[in-house]
Amino acid sequence: MRTRIKSADEEGNESINVSPLIDVVFILLIFFIVSATFVSLPGVEISRVRTETAKSLERNSILFALSDEDEIYHGGKKVNLQDVPGLIEKASKDRKKPVVIQVDQWADATIMAKLVAEAGKNSNSVSIATRKPK
Amino acid sequence: MKRKASSSTGEEAEINVSPLIDMVFILLIFFIVATSFVNEVGISSNHKDTANSSTEISPLSFELPGSGQVTRNGTPIELRQIAPVVRTASAKSKPSVLVKISPGARAGLATQVMDQALLGGAKAVKFAPLPK
Repeated sequence: MRTRIKSADEEGNESINVSPLIDVVFILLIFFIVSATFVSLPGVEISRVRTETAKSLERNSILFALSDEDEIYHGGKKVNLQDVPGLIEKASKDRKKPVVIQVDQWADATIMAKLVAEAGKNSNSVSIATRKPK
Repeated sequence: MKRKASSSTGEEAEINVSPLIDMVFILLIFFIVATSFVNEVGISSNHKDTANSSTEISPLSFELPGSGQVTRNGTPIELRQIAPVVRTASAKSKPSVLVKISPGARAGLATQVMDQALLGGAKAVKFAPLPK
């Protein structure tokens, strides 16, 4: 700490004032803490279908994926259809979160219909993730 | 910002802030990395399952057999014809659309049927899987 002592007449021994830097870093830190939502991705690659009425969905939602081999994924793991309402219950805690299902376009549509129905038991809003039209 | 803490010896004491800055930077980088800006686009059929009973007026229904052709009351219909059909039906009241899905139908097609129905102004779109 001896080098910190200011000596104005001497060159090269001046310490930089770091308090504005700390201020800015704190503001950034608080911004990122507040905006962090920790969405757990389903962890499987999905080829989505293009739809014309696609609109932006809520960011903080529970994600499920239906792969082209008709398997349901949630949080990087394969799950069974009958476990879906329980998983939504666990993930949404006290308030109801919306559910987004990423459906592969080559998946079986009956499985998708069942998945949408199961997810609708414990959530007010069930959406299907698609792509925007060109 | 010169704050002098006069100790017994009268020396100038300063708090060393560098560990604090290190910690804050580490936290900052953690939160930057952990923040996932997932922005999904998609469609949602805002149907209420409990309100939808058999007493309600019969919804517009489309069938999806496994062949990949959309039919309405047994007659094949093009995908782009769905929206006009729904729109003419919605002249009186906002209809709800039922999509009957046979095993073997592709989910992409069912999603597109739902999309076209919503484009035509459907109030709600419901999927009904048919047994084998």
